[in-house]
Amino acid sequence: MIKRNLYTLTLRLILPLCLMLFSATLRAQSSGPTYNDILAGFENPERWLTYSGDYSGRRHSPLTQITPDNVRQLRPIWTFQTGTTTRGRGFETTPLADNGVLYATGSNNYAWAIDARSGRAFWQYRRNLPGDLTYGSSAPVNRGFGMLGNQLFMVTLDAHLLSFDRRTGEILWDVVLADYQQGYAATLAPLVLEDKVIVGISGGEYATRGFIDAYNPETGERLWRFHTIPGPGEPGSETWPDDPAVLARGGGGTWMNGSYDPDLNLIYWGIGNPNPDYFGDLRPGDNLYSNSLVALDADTGELRWHYQFTPHDLNDWDSNHMPVLANIEWRGLPRKVVMVGNRNGFFYVLDRTTGALLLGKPFTATSWARELDANGRPIVLNDGSKGCVPDPWGSTNFMPPSFYPELDLFILTARETCATFVPEEPRFAPGQASFGGVVFIDADQGYGALRALDVHSGELVWEFTYPSPTFGGVMTTASGLVFAGDHEGNFMAFDAATGQNLWHYQTGSRIWGAAPMTFMLDGRQIVMIASGTTLTAFALPEE
Amino acid sequence: MITRDFPRAPRKSGGTRPLQATILWLAVLGALLLPGMASAQTVNPLEADPRAAAAGGSLYRAQCATCHGADAAGIQDIQAPDLTSLWSRPGRTDASVFQTIRNGIPGSIMPPHSFTDTETWMLVSYLKSLDAGSNREQYAGDAERGAELYDSYCRRCHRVNSSGGSLGPALDRITASRSKTALQQAIRDPGTSMARGYRPVRVVTGDRRQYRGTIKSEDAFSLQIMDESENLRGFRKSDLISIQYEDRSLMPRFTPSALSDGNLENILTFLAGAADPASH
Repeated sequence: MIKRNLYTLTLRLILPLCLMLFSATLRAQSSGPTYNDILAGFENPERWLTYSGDYSGRRHSPLTQITPDNVRQLRPIWTFQTGTTTRGRGFETTPLADNGVLYATGSNNYAWAIDARSGRAFWQYRRNLPGDLTYGSSAPVNRGFGMLGNQLFMVTLDAHLLSFDRRTGEILWDVVLADYQQGYAATLAPLVLEDKVIVGISGGEYATRGFIDAYNPETGERLWRFHTIPGPGEPGSETWPDDPAVLARGGGGTWMNGSYDPDLNLIYWGIGNPNPDYFGDLRPGDNLYSNSLVALDADTGELRWHYQFTPHDLNDWDSNHMPVLANIEWRGLPRKVVMVGNRNGFFYVLDRTTGALLLGKPFTATSWARELDANGRPIVLNDGSKGCVPDPWGSTNFMPPSFYPELDLFILTARETCATFVPEEPRFAPGQASFGGVVFIDADQGYGALRALDVHSGELVWEFTYPSPTFGGVMTTASGLVFAGDHEGNFMAFDAATGQNLWHYQTGSRIWGAAPMTFMLDGRQIVMIASGTTLTAFALPEE
Repeated sequence: MITRDFPRAPRKSGGTRPLQATILWLAVLGALLLPGMASAQTVNPLEADPRAAAAGGSLYRAQCATCHGADAAGIQDIQAPDLTSLWSRPGRTDASVFQTIRNGIPGSIMPPHSFTDTETWMLVSYLKSLDAGSNREQYAGDAERGAELYDSYCRRCHRVNSSGGSLGPALDRITASRSKTALQQAIRDPGTSMARGYRPVRVVTGDRRQYRGTIKSEDAFSLQIMDESENLRGFRKSDLISIQYEDRSLMPRFTPSALSDGNLENILTFLAGAADPASH
């Protein structure tokens, strides 16, 4: 009897106790990177936690293992094949890196967690997309994850925002940003702040109205929305016809990431073209806040200031660029600035506290305008009626530039093109694109270039030319290197001071909208680029 | 001296049941018991036979899975619907599912099928066994008590409704995708039923650090695991001193004395409720 009781006791008490002990021996769960880790930017060399590596949008890494002297030995160590193609566009992602794992999004809303040592996937995600995508079907791209703790955030081609568990790829929540059937989609890498996930929307080629949204990372609840096209009677509506229908389809997409100044608590975000793109007769006026840079209070989404680069745009020159933040000495005084290489062909420096224009100077041969007036407005010389102007893809585009602080150089991909615009009144219908005309591009006159601009003067310091207009992004490293990609598929390294090409590797597909990133792994500096259907990791040979 | 020790993964021996024989037997049974059964029959004559769902399952995998998916959850790309919650829709009966399989859906990609009546009822039985709503009826325990037990025993490693651990598989739909017997067995003796992506491994690195976890991916030169702290970790095998593949699941055995039959039923009842869309 006693024996029997002991047996029961063992089973009833000791076994569950053992189970509890088993649980207790499991070490504390990893909680993932915090807001302070993102804020610290490049402090931990093994991490790359936000689209540009830090909030400034500079894409300038402090890593120095790969140098102008040894970069010739750089070689691929693995390639990851996505298994999904990007009709008409590029593989545009910037992977995030944490603790030896890369988190990357792909075209057609694929996503992966990848072992940075081998290129093997821990998990893969593919969204079941509806068959009647609108903008999302013409540009089935995605630029990357945002990350906070154990969560990843990704936007989708059917205009949702998803939260993932980064360990499993499981969806934690899924919220609708806008009705994709109207023409909306989303493609950017979410900007993650302490308690907010900031995203924008695509679809300015349709009768849509753009916005910038903030969401609660834990619940997906929307915290605020900033409309990029004012409502009737709101400030800015005086730059549009007095017609609510025109405002409601005014465009102003926000499809490229923004940057963030934690001290000023301001978000900087570029706004896209007004709709219809090429046909301006239906929307006389400057059409705020299209083609502008806006500074928003991160807590409330309220507009602090704006600067419009291209009033009354007729050429689809969205201002969806990575705003680059830097603290530089300006005319002898320290100044907090934001820099933009714009699709309209001008390089701009603005005071990022006030929005005051400090510099605006063309970096291409554009005949549209060559200077700004005293109010910072372009003096338009050729609206397209006096010969060709840059094509709708613009003098540069969303492919990230880089700022090299020690050299005071802003390095960007420039496109020299020649296009004739034939505007035509469009029909407006939900889910139907309304470009408002057609464009003829003279391909023979086009070429591309990597250009380094002196940020104090906007003058060209050096350039490296490519055979065709290029869509590759740029990264710099503190060892004096520039990494960039071209339309012919080359991934390249340059001397940052001189622009001399030091290394190239043919990836086999154009590098389109993607920019490099870099991080340390087991004492080795890894450089990554997305191209075609592949993500490739490069490093120096092991000793 | 560093010794390299890479034991080979033990191969699982084949143990498939003769499903075809089962089908044949049921077909004979059907022929004997249901002479002249018209397709207008409104009650599934095989409803009480537990073998019907299994036989329907093998028919399903051969004839239906291409469009509706191996898990019957549907394939959105080709607009093939989810078949795992058919009975939760208003007006749906065994007979209406029978008719849809028999006649197809005119104007859609779903064709008519020439299964015999018995085969069609087997498919109905199988689909009904997957149905979360109807499955719920199989579980007659106390869901609230089950939720408490789940929290103390399972939640550390498993997720339901996106809450819980990641070391084991999510269990939201587990009662819809696996039979009650299989689930009972998996809880009593987890070693016998490891899901893909959850095979345990123990590695020792060159600097003598040990990690235990589940294998997410592997090739000849590298290994990707989730460790017991739920970190994703990748290793080059050349950096490892040893890799030990373990035969038993990381999940502990829950013997009847640790978890009574009643409490096991309570946990399954809780999980069945979690899988039922109506309960959300």
